[in-house]
Amino acid sequence: MSSQYPALIVVVPLLAGLLVFIAGWVNKKWCFPIAVAALGISAYSSIGLLFRVINEGVIVYKMGGWDPPMGISYYVDHLNGLVLAVVSVVAFLNAIASKRSIEDEFPDNIGAFYALYVLMVTGLLGIVVTGDAFNLYVLLEIAALTGYGLIAMGGGRGSLSALNYLYMGTIGACFYLLGVGYLYIMTGSLNMVDIARILPDLYQSKAVMAAFIICMVGVWIKMAFFPLHAWLPNAYTYAPSASSSLVAPLVTKVMIYVMIRFILTVFTPEYSFNILAVSQPIVWLAVIAIVMGALLALKERNLKKMLTYIIVAEVGYMVGGAWLGNRVGMTGAILHIVNDALMTLCVFMAVGNIVYKVKGADFENLQGLFRKMPFTMGAFVVGAMSMIGVPPTCGFFSKWYLISGAIQAGHYGFMVALVFSSLVNVVLFFRIFEICYYEPFSDHHGHGDEHGHHPEPAMDEAPVTMLVPLFVIAVILVLVGLYTGDIVNQIIDVAIPKGLV
Amino acid sequence: MKIIGLIVAVLTGGLLVYAAGDFPAWSDPASPASTYLSPHFIEKTIEETSVPNIVTAVLADYRGFDTMFETTVIFSAGVAVFLLLRTSGPKTQQTRLYRHQLTGVTVRIKEGAELPPSDNFERIDRFWTPHDLIIKTVCRLLIPFIQLFGLYVIAHGHHSPGGGFQGGVILGASIILLAISHDLRTAIKRVAEKLDAVLCAIGVLIYAGTGALCLLLGLNFLDYKALAPVLHVDSIMARSHGILIVEIGVGVAVMFTMIWIYSNLSSGGKYNQGL
Repeated sequence: MSSQYPALIVVVPLLAGLLVFIAGWVNKKWCFPIAVAALGISAYSSIGLLFRVINEGVIVYKMGGWDPPMGISYYVDHLNGLVLAVVSVVAFLNAIASKRSIEDEFPDNIGAFYALYVLMVTGLLGIVVTGDAFNLYVLLEIAALTGYGLIAMGGGRGSLSALNYLYMGTIGACFYLLGVGYLYIMTGSLNMVDIARILPDLYQSKAVMAAFIICMVGVWIKMAFFPLHAWLPNAYTYAPSASSSLVAPLVTKVMIYVMIRFILTVFTPEYSFNILAVSQPIVWLAVIAIVMGALLALKERNLKKMLTYIIVAEVGYMVGGAWLGNRVGMTGAILHIVNDALMTLCVFMAVGNIVYKVKGADFENLQGLFRKMPFTMGAFVVGAMSMIGVPPTCGFFSKWYLISGAIQAGHYGFMVALVFSSLVNVVLFFRIFEICYYEPFSDHHGHGDEHGHHPEPAMDEAPVTMLVPLFVIAVILVLVGLYTGDIVNQIIDVAIPKGLV
Repeated sequence: MKIIGLIVAVLTGGLLVYAAGDFPAWSDPASPASTYLSPHFIEKTIEETSVPNIVTAVLADYRGFDTMFETTVIFSAGVAVFLLLRTSGPKTQQTRLYRHQLTGVTVRIKEGAELPPSDNFERIDRFWTPHDLIIKTVCRLLIPFIQLFGLYVIAHGHHSPGGGFQGGVILGASIILLAISHDLRTAIKRVAEKLDAVLCAIGVLIYAGTGALCLLLGLNFLDYKALAPVLHVDSIMARSHGILIVEIGVGVAVMFTMIWIYSNLSSGGKYNQGL
C-alpha cells in the first residue's frame, strides 16, 4: 500500500468530504469520526511518504497510469514531502481541537461545515503534492472556494471580509492561471519537471519572463504579501475559530511553497536570481512587509487581529529569505514554512480556546486569563516564545538561518527588519502577558470590592478535547526546535538544488 | 487611489501585450502547443482509449484527475452557498397561506390550526402572483424533451461534443425552468431538498469512487484498465467504459448542484415560492 501513499494523501480526504456531507443529512454523529479518521490516514500517509522520500529519493505517481507529460503525475521530493507532513498534521490536530466549537456554533450544519473543512485540506494537500502546473490551479480553486465559505461562516463582518477575500483571491488565481497559460503557449507542456527541461532554451524570451512575473504576483496576492495583504486581517479575524485556526497556519504557507517550487523547480535558481535580477527589489519589498506588519500589529487592540498582522510580517520573512538568492536564506525560508505553520496553529488554537470560554479576543476580555485558563495560556506562551524567536523553540532556528542568509548576501536592511520585528513581537506578546497576568479579571468584581480586594477568579479551562491537541502542538514546537539539525541536513539541504550556493 | 489603480492596470496590460510579441504566430502549426503533446493525442487516442472524441479522452482520461476536482469545485460551491444562505429557523411560520385551486380562495391558517383535508390546497406566500397559463403549458411540454436531450448529450460525449458538464447543466436547467414557470415549491415536490443535496455528493462520489476502485483493484488511481475484469471487456474498452461512468457521475453532480444553488439563491435560503 505504501506505493499508493501519494494518491491516498489526497483521495482519502476527498472521499471523506463527500461521505461526511451525506452523513450530515443522515446522522450527524458520524461526521466527526469520518473527518478525523480521514485526516488521520492522510497525516499517516504523508509522514510515511516523507520517510520513503528520505530513503529512496524522488517519487513520481502517475494518475490513471499515464506517463508524464501526457497525463497528470504527482511528484514528491524532499521539499513537498516536508510541507505535506506539516499541512496534514496541522489539519488533523485542528480538526480534533475544534470539535466542540463547531458543535456549539453550527449545530444544524455540522455535516456541511466538516465537508468544507475536509475539502479545503484536500485542496491544500493537492496543491503541495502535485507535479502539474494546471492541476495545481484546480486544487487552488478548491482550497479557495471552501476557504471563502469557511470564513464567511463568521457572519456579519466575516461575510463582508470573505467577499473581499473572494475578489482578491480570484484575481490572484487568475494571474496564476494566466501565467501557466503563457508557459503552455511557449513550451506546450503543463508538467513542472517537463517545463523545467524545455525552458532553458527559452530563457531570453519575453513571454517566459512575463509568465514568471504573473505567476509570482498571483501567488503573492494569495499569500498576502505586502502591499497585497489588505484582504487578510479582516478575513482571518472575523472567521469562526475552527476556520481561522485552519486557514491562518496553512494557506499563506502553502502559497509560499508554490513560490519556492516555481523558483527552484519550474524555473531554475539561475533564472530566478541571475537572469531576471529582481531579487534586490523583492527583498526590499519584504523588508517593508515585515516593518509594516509589525507596526500595524502594534496598533491593534484585539488579540486575533494582532496575530493576523504578525502573519503579514511572517510572509515577509519567507519571501525575503527565499529571494536572498543564497542557500542559507532559502533553507531559512523553507524551515520557516514548517515552523510558522506550527506556531501559528499553536497561538490560533489558544485563541480559539479563549474565544470559546470568554466569547471575545479584545484586550479587555483577556484580563486574569492566567488564573482562569492556566493550561491554555501556558501553551500560548510557548507559541509566543516561538514567534519571538526564543531558543529552544523552533522559531529561533529559522530566524537564525534567515539572519545568517541576510548577512551572507550582504543585505543588512533585511537583517535589521528581522531583528526589529522580533523586538516588536516581544513588545506585543509581553503586553498580552501583562494584561492576562496582572490585570484583574473583569467579571464578578462586585463581590471583591466589598472586601477591598479582587477575588481569585475560579479556574474555568477549555474542555480536554481542546487542550490535548494544543499541548501536542506546543510540545512539537520544542521538538522541531531540538531536531532542527536533522531536518535541515536530511531534508531541506537535499531539497535545494546543488546549483544554489 | 483610482489613478494608482488605473496605472497598475495599464502597466499589467502593457506587460501582457509586450510579452505576447514572443508568442508563436496565430494558429501556427509549428508552435510548441501543436507539435509537442497534441500529435500524440491525435494519433494515439483511439488506440489507447477507443474513444473517437479526442477532447473527451483528454478531459476524462489523460487529464481525468483534473476533471474530478473540477466536479469537486462545483460541489464545494454548492455546499458553500447552502451553508451561507439556508436559514434553519422555525420549521413552521406562525401563519401560513393556502390557496384553494378550484375557487381561488385564499385561506389564512394560524399557528396550531389544521387545514381541512383536501388535495386542492396549494401553499403560497404573501407576494403570490397567478401563474401564466401559456408559459406553464409550454414549459410542461418542453421539459421532457430538454431532459431527453440532456441525457443524449451525456451519453454521446464519446462521439460528439458533449459530456457530463454540458448534459448536467441541461438537465439542471430543465428543473430550474419548472421552478421559474411554476414556482419553487412545484420543483421541490419533484426534487426534494435532501435528495438533491445527497445526489450532489453522490455524483462526485461516483467519479472519485471509480478512481478509488481502480486503486483497490491494484492499479493507480483512476487507471480504468483495472476495471476490465469487473466490466468483462478488454483493457482498452475498459477505459472507454470508465470514461462513461465518470461522465455520468459528473452529470449527476452538475445537475443537482445547479438545482441546489438555484433553490438557495432564488428563495434566499428559505425554500418558499422562490422568484
